[in-house]
Amino acid sequence: MSDTVEITVTVNGTVHREQVSVREHAADFLRHTLGLTGTHVGCEQGVCGMCTVLLDGQAVKACLLLAPQLDGHEVETVESLAPGEELDPLQQAFKDAHALQCGFCTPGFLMTATALGREGRALSRDEIRDELAGVLCRCTGYEHIVTAVERYLAETPARERADV
Amino acid sequence: MKPAPFDYIRPATVAQAVDALDQHAGMARVLAGGQSLVPMLGMRLMRPSALIDINGLEDELGRIECSGSETTVGALVRYATLERSPVISERLPLLAHVVRYIGDRQVRNRGTLGGAVAQSDPTGEMGLVCLALGASVLARGSGGERTIPIEQFFEGSYANVLEPEELLVALRFPLAPSRCRFFERGRKHNDFALISVVAVGSEDADGRWHDVRIALGGINDRPVLAPAAAARLEGARWDAAAIEEAAQLALEVADPPDDVRASADYRRHLVPVHVRRVLTDLAAGEDR
Ligand SMILES: Cc1cc2nc3c(=O)[nH]c(=O)nc-3n(C[C@H](O)[C@H](O)[C@H](O)COP(=O)(O)OP(=O)(O)OC[C@H]3O[C@@H](n4cnc5c(N)ncnc54)[C@H](O)[C@@H]3O)c2cc1C
Ligand code: FES
Ligand code: FES
Repeated sequence: MSDTVEITVTVNGTVHREQVSVREHAADFLRHTLGLTGTHVGCEQGVCGMCTVLLDGQAVKACLLLAPQLDGHEVETVESLAPGEELDPLQQAFKDAHALQCGFCTPGFLMTATALGREGRALSRDEIRDELAGVLCRCTGYEHIVTAVERYLAETPARERADV
Repeated sequence: MKPAPFDYIRPATVAQAVDALDQHAGMARVLAGGQSLVPMLGMRLMRPSALIDINGLEDELGRIECSGSETTVGALVRYATLERSPVISERLPLLAHVVRYIGDRQVRNRGTLGGAVAQSDPTGEMGLVCLALGASVLARGSGGERTIPIEQFFEGSYANVLEPEELLVALRFPLAPSRCRFFERGRKHNDFALISVVAVGSEDADGRWHDVRIALGGINDRPVLAPAAAARLEGARWDAAAIEEAAQLALEVADPPDDVRASADYRRHLVPVHVRRVLTDLAAGEDR
């Protein structure tokens, strides 16, 4: 029985080759091995959405992925949104709409909404709510989060969203 | 949380996956979307000797194929694919509709049809739809492939007739009846259902219904058909009296659990109420 395997994974554009424990989930790998602590861990059972990252462009819960499953895939975390000092348009929309208080849930919402934005669909408030329902927030009451995403989808051209 | 130790195996073909299952003699588990399995491992509700990760087998298990009136959906087809597939929305619109009631975006991006059917959650939406549509389960073991009618597949709560060494490879659906209606009542948005109801059938030019099937979730230890209720409506025009009789007949198959989500009495109370509503809506031309 081998407890570790070597994986090659692209995270935020950088290729990493790492030895991982097969029992470790992908969120722990990102946090502990790569030091990318923007991906938060809440429930570790797929319910809270804190650990949402993009796997090959799709929003997924990293606590329900095993680290060895990342081999050969591409991951984007919240750290990819604003590489410099300036916020990305989605983050700016969150700031402007007061869409965060403690901020613990914010990376989960940002990554879910990033994938949503790239789809380029026009969405009603209800549809946005439905698409974001996999991330919980204990502070804001959600209204401002929905508003931030609504504004982001309305005001940021689809091309720019795809570029992020 | 950390699962108990296991071997991680990533087969390159279905044949290798079946070999690996065989070698582990019933102690290994297939890892598909992981949306049920990974939490169960973390909580140590399961301690398999090995995980056989089938996510690399898209070529063999990730296809949707049409042959005549039949549609075969590979075990690894994800919920999100079902939501968006034009073939599914044309040929199996009920499946495309109901999949949106499962979990959330993230869960639907990973969870698979085969995983949901193998999981055999008594409140799961996919098992219910497969039952209503009369699907067959295609399973492969070291002895070859077999086809299991869905009516004979579920054995109880989270239990089915798959051998632990068998891989579920696909679900095969016959031509779907032209009309269908789904309803579910849960405690929260898109949570597991307290009760779910599907009715399907086709209405002829005379206003008589044929191929009627009524399936219920959450009111037994597995998804069940309500044959007496369906028989009452087969070949008949549906007036309020016929619908009411069928709704009462649906109680025949109800043997609901008492659990954290609802009492058995409450679930039993919901059966005729929601069967009546679903049938009334369907008769009124409100599909899905
Ligand atoms: C937050 C959340 C909400 C959810 N809400 C719902 C809901 O509303 N309704 C609902 O129905 N489900 C819900 N689920 C469960 C989800 O639908 C799972 O995706 C599904 O139950 C299992 O599919 P999977 O592909 O993830 O399978 P896995 O979790 O990988 O596997 C589940 C089981 O099936 C076995 N298995 C998987 N594939 C095969 C195969 N091809 N052959 C043999 N055995 C196999 C595994 O060994 C395991 O025992 C939810 C999950 C989460 C995390
Ligand atoms: S930590 Fe992954 S969903 Fe809660
Ligand atoms: S801002 Fe605190 S949990 Fe969402």
